[in-house]
Amino acid sequence: MIFDKTRQALFALFPAQDLDKPVVEEPSSDETEDAKTKKTAEPRKDGLLECDYSVHGYHLDAQVAPEQLLDAVTIVDNLEYFIESITGVDWIKEDQLEVVYDFSRYDFDVCRVVIRTRLDRNNPIVPTITGIYAGANWHERETHDFFGIKFDGHPHLIPLLLPEDADFHPLLKDFKA
Amino acid sequence: MGTENIPSSVVQFAIAEKIINIGRANSLWPLTFGIACCAIEMMATGCARFDMSRFGAEVFRPSARQSDVMIVAGTITKKMMPGIKTLYDQMPEPKWVMALGNCAISGGPFAFEGNYNIILGADEFLPVDVYVPGCPPRPEALLQGIIELEHLVSDWKRWKNPEAA
Amino acid sequence: MSSPIQLQPDETFILNVGPQHPATHGVLRVKMEMNGEYIVDAETVIGYIHRMHEKMGESKTYPQYLMNLSRMDYLGAVGYSHGHVLVVEKAAGIEVPERAEYIRVLMVELNRVASHLFWFGAFVMDLGGFSPLMYALQDREHILDMMEAVTGSRLTYCYFRYGGLYNDIDDDFIRAARAFLPRMTKSMKKYHKLVTGNVIFQKRLEGIAPLTPEMCRKYGASSAVARGSGINFDVRRNEPYSVYPEFDFDIPVYHECDSLARYNVRMDEIEQSLRIIEQALDKLPDGPIMPKKKPKIIKPPAGDYYQAVETARGSFGVRLVSDGGKTPYRLKLRSPTYSNMHLFDEACRGMLITDALAFMGSLDLVIPEIDR
Repeated sequence: MIFDKTRQALFALFPAQDLDKPVVEEPSSDETEDAKTKKTAEPRKDGLLECDYSVHGYHLDAQVAPEQLLDAVTIVDNLEYFIESITGVDWIKEDQLEVVYDFSRYDFDVCRVVIRTRLDRNNPIVPTITGIYAGANWHERETHDFFGIKFDGHPHLIPLLLPEDADFHPLLKDFKA
Repeated sequence: MGTENIPSSVVQFAIAEKIINIGRANSLWPLTFGIACCAIEMMATGCARFDMSRFGAEVFRPSARQSDVMIVAGTITKKMMPGIKTLYDQMPEPKWVMALGNCAISGGPFAFEGNYNIILGADEFLPVDVYVPGCPPRPEALLQGIIELEHLVSDWKRWKNPEAA
Repeated sequence: MSSPIQLQPDETFILNVGPQHPATHGVLRVKMEMNGEYIVDAETVIGYIHRMHEKMGESKTYPQYLMNLSRMDYLGAVGYSHGHVLVVEKAAGIEVPERAEYIRVLMVELNRVASHLFWFGAFVMDLGGFSPLMYALQDREHILDMMEAVTGSRLTYCYFRYGGLYNDIDDDFIRAARAFLPRMTKSMKKYHKLVTGNVIFQKRLEGIAPLTPEMCRKYGASSAVARGSGINFDVRRNEPYSVYPEFDFDIPVYHECDSLARYNVRMDEIEQSLRIIEQALDKLPDGPIMPKKKPKIIKPPAGDYYQAVETARGSFGVRLVSDGGKTPYRLKLRSPTYSNMHLFDEACRGMLITDALAFMGSLDLVIPEIDR
């Protein structure tokens, strides 16, 4: 099963986490009240989550440090995942930006993997993955347009969807038109 | 281009002008220029069922130099605006502009508080002659727009106004 | 593809295709570096119709946002709405009645046929044949008539609601749909006779723009672009959603990797969609089209949700990040043509410009869907 293979490979990135005791996310219905307060208090720690596919729509959710990103993406590349999308989320209350990478598979062994990394909101720099997935090029440019996240080493980081001279990042929560 | 202003000839022949205008009204050549959803309805209007050629307006020209109506069919973004302006400038006189659909009239559904990329209507930078509302307008609405434009061009009507009779 | 002339990079010029060009299907621009008739390098410039859908997602409440999805891709509108309502239903825990699910599938498949018909006409027009467009749009009008009677609009349907549908279908619709099926089957024979068998048509597409499966994977291609390269990937089968497991249909896969394969995949898909429509009409259960119990204000619990669906243009994904409020915290729309179009820059190197435009047509582009 590709799920176990991927899980094992990604676990290697988190030596502190115990493989025998996989973290399974609590059902989301219980954490409605909790999550709001929790999220403002402390952001999620790096680590691997196994998610309920029927609730969240993906199987594995790995939050890595920006330095570990290339290792994590190399793992999914070696396991022949295709890149679905890259996007950002602005967690303004925690003063952080999140970059979310989605990967999925072409075969019938369904396994969706989400890799995310949190960046400092004032200096968001993350290594580019265009060297591994050529198709990440546009996705990264788009994320740079919308959130101002700098992809270190990107070959052509100019505005894609916004006008050529755009210097604003519209999807930041403190953006005013 | 841009400030081009072609003066009408010194000697005016009223009747000849009138005949020429009727000719113009019956052979409006639109520019093949689709931006968004409305362009699909524009293509549907040009095809078999609605048959725009009944009104002589089916000759879509891909080049701005050969066309005399610009149908602005879709949302105008800040990035696209200079391009549309250039196309309009390239069209030979006399020329007309039709704003097809709500986006080209006022920004339509995309005019909202956080708007950062949309020009609110073609009339912000083009002299629009006919407005056709709808999201997108039905092909019948576009045909009605063509008929209105014919009336505007030549003062000539395909049929008498039934209410006046 | 090996070019018969030696490419000399110092003898190139820049050719600007678009943003107003009849072959680019809208406002797309490609900067091509040319050596004679051959493309040395290309850079696609998009964003001419970026309509801020993702920003609007954050500032509008859930029901207010329903109309945006159909403006995103106007040719296959209901398929996109399907992805959006599915992810919100999943997040908010809304049950959908069975009849509503069947009607949804029925509408999505009808819309898929309409979308593919339009693509068929426009694609052949790109290659220089004008009359197939007239035939294809005539058949498409029949679908639009049926859907208009139920949904109230011709193109930008806002038909799906969270938990169900806006309007139930009636006997007239079923009668019209049943009458449409044999008509369309007959038309398909006509199209194959008119276009597929044409030698000029085949010669212009065979072996053009080969896309390897590995390239598809690196770019995340889906729909006919992947299936024409031998990848058996269709979200309806790989990750079944709605009531698709109930239906018997095939996923057409071709291994030639060229533009003709992509054409064949879409033509076969029309036939498969007709099969699904027929089965959906046979199996259509009675019952309500809206759930009995539904929250008045839709507020999905905080969390991160993802849903992919197979639209006419490929795998469309919606990521919903909710903070428990009335509006989404973040709504990401993953559009399939965005990934498919990205392939173009790399794939068209060394190609003749006429072949490149044929290749572009075979990607089935809808520009507002790329730019969102």
